[in-house]
Amino acid sequence: MAELTSTLAKPQSGEQDAARRQRRAAWALTLPAVLLMGVILLVPVAVAAVLSFTDFSLGNDSFNWVGFKNYDRLFTRSTYAKMFVATFTYVVTVVPISVGLGLGAALLIQSITHLREVYKTIYFLPVMATLLAMAIAWEFMLHPSIGMINRTLELGCGTVLEHIWPFMANGCVQGFPVWLGDKRYAIWVISFIGIWQGFGFNMVLYLAGLTGVHRELYHAAEMDGAKSGWERFRLVTWPALGPTTVFVVTISCIRAFQVFDTVEAFWPQGGGPNKSTYVMMFAIFEKGVQQNLIGAGASITVMFLVFVMILTLIQRWLVERKVHYG
Amino acid sequence: MTHDWWKHLILTLGALIVIAPFYMMVSYSFKSPGEIDRGEGGFFGRQELMVDERCVQLRDPNRDEITTARTRFPNQTDRQIHTAMVAEATVDCSMRPVVFNYSKAFTEAPLLRYLLNGVIVTASIFFIQVLVAVPAAYALAKLKFWGREAVFSLVLFCLLIPVHAIALPLYIMLAKLGLTNTYAALVVPWTISVFGIFLMRQFFMTVPDDLIDAARMDGMGEFAIVWRVMLPTAIPALLAFAIFSIVAHWNDYFWPRIVVTGNRDLFTPPLGLREFKGDGDGSFFGPMMATATVIVMPLIVAFLLAQKRFIEGITLSGMK
Repeated sequence: MAELTSTLAKPQSGEQDAARRQRRAAWALTLPAVLLMGVILLVPVAVAAVLSFTDFSLGNDSFNWVGFKNYDRLFTRSTYAKMFVATFTYVVTVVPISVGLGLGAALLIQSITHLREVYKTIYFLPVMATLLAMAIAWEFMLHPSIGMINRTLELGCGTVLEHIWPFMANGCVQGFPVWLGDKRYAIWVISFIGIWQGFGFNMVLYLAGLTGVHRELYHAAEMDGAKSGWERFRLVTWPALGPTTVFVVTISCIRAFQVFDTVEAFWPQGGGPNKSTYVMMFAIFEKGVQQNLIGAGASITVMFLVFVMILTLIQRWLVERKVHYG
Repeated sequence: MTHDWWKHLILTLGALIVIAPFYMMVSYSFKSPGEIDRGEGGFFGRQELMVDERCVQLRDPNRDEITTARTRFPNQTDRQIHTAMVAEATVDCSMRPVVFNYSKAFTEAPLLRYLLNGVIVTASIFFIQVLVAVPAAYALAKLKFWGREAVFSLVLFCLLIPVHAIALPLYIMLAKLGLTNTYAALVVPWTISVFGIFLMRQFFMTVPDDLIDAARMDGMGEFAIVWRVMLPTAIPALLAFAIFSIVAHWNDYFWPRIVVTGNRDLFTPPLGLREFKGDGDGSFFGPMMATATVIVMPLIVAFLLAQKRFIEGITLSGMK
């Protein structure tokens, strides 16, 4: 900084001098950021890549190179098979539904005249709330005997619902599910909470996208014979929202891959009934941090980074091609 | 409105589902354990006086206390004095459920300390992020220098790396440096916000060059230009980034969970709540939900007060 001001104080001697000064200032301004990017983002990626080929553990000074053994385990052990199943089930469920609900809510909210702000505010609340706290609230809601959900379901017993809905009939006789303790439901409960938390964010992005759709386009479409609301949506709204959709899908995917808080809050040991919710982030935490099996954790980290990079590269490719769906 | 009724029906049903856990959280934080167990009392509970059994047990008089209390209860046997003193304790330990829940939230665990930690960590992260990102963003947007393209490509590449994903190697590096269980461990990985650089750069690109040239004519150095000329023009972008950053780090649970183990003095609010849950038995639903409410509320209240700003902030940061 001192050097910077002293060079500035000198009398200027032409264009070249000014250019050199600017160059030097530019490097002084970017250097902290570049250094931190290197140390905090790039070096760890390299460290993870290297450690994934070792049996390193904290507290042990020596380690052995184990080649692809960690990766080999990733694709042969049944625990890791469950990890991939849980992660992909979650992502494949949460992303389409939260994007769909976000779009649906945005379209509905945009088409009404009253109470817009109220709905918008309510749907956005879960985005702001501490997920861990809300997970605990959901845990109470899902409590098998005193939770609000099973209590509400019990109200349906003895009504017509019991006859037309097998789930209800079953629940009234044998008791309603224990949700978090049942391996058939656990992953879906987690997914539901993921959708509950994330769709408001997508809605807000879609609402912003919708304001960018030109009115004239709708008139033009109507001239061309697009009479029904569905036709107008298919011909005008959806293509115009293409870039928003690409972004919303990518960011939802990346967030969905990173699910952790709910899983850790509900099942601090072991990732759910029968490992049915053993998602990647939890696996990294359990193997790498809790069990000090750094090699295993590092290989999961590398897989994770590969998934995220592929996703983002697909997104950038779509954006550059300016793909409009329709 | 009349022909929109079905839209309102759908939106209202959705809103009820979205609000349900918030409703339950706040409602349980008002109710007594009995009301929670039996599911009665509406939203606020009946707020009948309840007795804090633990408080009564703690005040169970011992022999010495009974002896000293003899002067207050003349002509009574020790057993009678004991009963009278327990009755006194019971009266003193009676309180409304809402008072019980919230006072327990703050006394069972050092919740104030957790909240303070949350503020310290969130504020330091944001402050350092701005300090690092704004100058870099200005240089990338407005200065010509050798290597600019390379630095910008680096920024674009780093946008691909979610910090949570590389938590394990970061944790190992911090552990090797002996930094786990410190404030530094909570803050350091977040000091560089690539996204912040990107966002501010996009914003600075729209600032006219004339403004900067004029400042240079006035003899300002590049450093002064960053903070005295560029930053004031970028307040909207900075606010958006502030909201983005603060929301993310106040609510973050994964990273603190990894680098803070056991040392309660460093717990952030989500860690404190987690600890509370681990310790609690069934009767502590009320105080636990009070803790959850206290932790969630600051952001929710800020959001309700400045909704437009928050939504704009999140969308601005979303749309890049």
